[in-house]
Amino acid sequence: MNTFLKLAWRNIWRNKRRTMITISAIVFAVLAAIVMQSMNRGSYEVMIDRMVSFSTGYLQVQDYRYDREASLDNAFHYDDALGETVLSADTRIERVVPRLETFMLAANDVSTRGSVVFGVDPEKEQAFNQIDNYLAEGRFVESNEYTAVMGKGLADRLQLDVGDTLALIGQGRFGMSASGLFEITGLLEHPIHDMNNSAVYLPLGTAQELLSAEEHITGLLISVQQARQTDAVAASLRSTLEDGELVVFTWPELMPELLELMEMDLAVPRLLTLVLYVVIGLGFFGTVLTMTMERLREFGVLLSVGMKRGSLSLVLFIETLIISIMAVASGILLSWVLLKLVDPIALSGEAAQAVIDMGFDPVIPMSFAPDQFFVQGLYVFVIALIVFLFPLVKILRLNILEAARS
Amino acid sequence: MTIVRTEKLCKVYNPDTVPVHALNNVCIEVDEGEFTALRGPSGSGKTTLLNMIGGLDKPTEGKVFIDGHEISSMKDSKRIDFRLQNIGFVFQHYNLIPVFTAAENVAFIMMLQGRDKQEIRKRTDKLLDQVGLGDRKDARPAQLSGGQQQRVAVARALASEPRFILADEPTANLDTEAAMNLLDIMEKMNREQNITFVFSTHDQRVIDRARRVVTMVDGAIDQDEIQDPDKT
Repeated sequence: MNTFLKLAWRNIWRNKRRTMITISAIVFAVLAAIVMQSMNRGSYEVMIDRMVSFSTGYLQVQDYRYDREASLDNAFHYDDALGETVLSADTRIERVVPRLETFMLAANDVSTRGSVVFGVDPEKEQAFNQIDNYLAEGRFVESNEYTAVMGKGLADRLQLDVGDTLALIGQGRFGMSASGLFEITGLLEHPIHDMNNSAVYLPLGTAQELLSAEEHITGLLISVQQARQTDAVAASLRSTLEDGELVVFTWPELMPELLELMEMDLAVPRLLTLVLYVVIGLGFFGTVLTMTMERLREFGVLLSVGMKRGSLSLVLFIETLIISIMAVASGILLSWVLLKLVDPIALSGEAAQAVIDMGFDPVIPMSFAPDQFFVQGLYVFVIALIVFLFPLVKILRLNILEAARS
Repeated sequence: MTIVRTEKLCKVYNPDTVPVHALNNVCIEVDEGEFTALRGPSGSGKTTLLNMIGGLDKPTEGKVFIDGHEISSMKDSKRIDFRLQNIGFVFQHYNLIPVFTAAENVAFIMMLQGRDKQEIRKRTDKLLDQVGLGDRKDARPAQLSGGQQQRVAVARALASEPRFILADEPTANLDTEAAMNLLDIMEKMNREQNITFVFSTHDQRVIDRARRVVTMVDGAIDQDEIQDPDKT
């Protein structure tokens, strides 16, 4: 094996320039594919993380009717015992965060705006998404206060500031009218852009009282230790709650449109990656084809003197593999360095404004998820296997005499 | 003791289009320790016969026996293994592995046989010393002259300790001095170690040194004569 490795290694450097061109082409493909994917995934990871933290949770427990009709009438009874039941259903559950959510009109003394009101447990909310970090001014609400924190965009539209009074008007549970005045303790630069223009946070107890929904919530958000555990935890939680009226949703189930949007958005980079790899694959094939055809005589001699066809194929396979490994390793290393250097890309000018208008931050964070590096290596390895079929077939069918005479 | 025996060996190329009868009922025996030259004009069947004996090609009819084993009907993989263990080859164009040094070229065959590393190293050194290239063992083929490359090829052919060595026009690409040098080495090995050599050749210098000369004409043996050893 050592000798075969030595033979393969020296063979690939018989024509240094050709090998370097082939490796460079593959490195370029790997680099381009990883950077493209990293940019997309980086943006999506941030987007998902924010949506999960501030909107849905990785998992959410709801009343089974709430999914069809998101009304306070379909809120469910929540107490510490239920929280404990859910928390102990699976050891991978990190925490549970109760929320009561509804639409109300937010008003100052002269105008009103639509708003999404969240009744939250301040301590649990803070532990879940560190919402304090997004305060532009003031402080977050505390339990049982008649206070509110609102998105800065909404506050600006209503010309409200910390210390001012916010009026909330709407409908509570089962048609009860709901209205109240709340002192604004803080303004949030909400990480979800739309929410910045619509979110109002109240202490959970205050919100329940306002909306005639005492001891009720609309959703129990659940965070898990690792995102990839979501489906498994959902399954175990469903079995725990199967007899009641509560149902469990995962974040992709709660935000299918977001996933569809991402899939659509990924179509173009995927197509580009495919084209890139087809082109690079053909280049790789060209190299292996030449490396094979120019050595047919040598193959004939090696078979003549007693080298088995399998051993000869193995040498050719090692050659293909070495080229792939060197190219993939270089591509991954270069892309990692490049990503580290540019992460995150801050947009400016019109591009930044366009992104802000779409509700996103004007930065493109890079993803360093290990699988995106490995997947590119896997693609190149598959290409190498396909490319290797040519020398393999050639060797298996080689007529020793014709080859030795060639 | 007979090492090689052929029975009514026939080889027809292009049997379905324009048949070319390369061998016609060739029967030949080669005994251990022979130093035999196959001569004849181009197209007389010398190389075809060597290929049949070496198991590189299959006869259309007839059989080839090496040490009593019929190799003409062996499967490809078995024949490759049989060649590795029993037959040494020396080619007209040397055909060394260009990326290996002289020593690695010789050692490679023994590595294919699965021999012990220590043994491979010792035998490689010994063989290269025998062919007068002990000081060039780290040179690659491109750094060696034609004569030196052919001597490495002889050492490689001997490496597997074969029953006999087939050499197809071994001196055709060598100048007189290199050719005589190579013949001296092969003859010495034949005499001192009783190694069997069978050559195909046009080269009168080789023919003069052979102890048995088989002349082929039109795919058949025309003459088979023993020469006076003193002549060499």
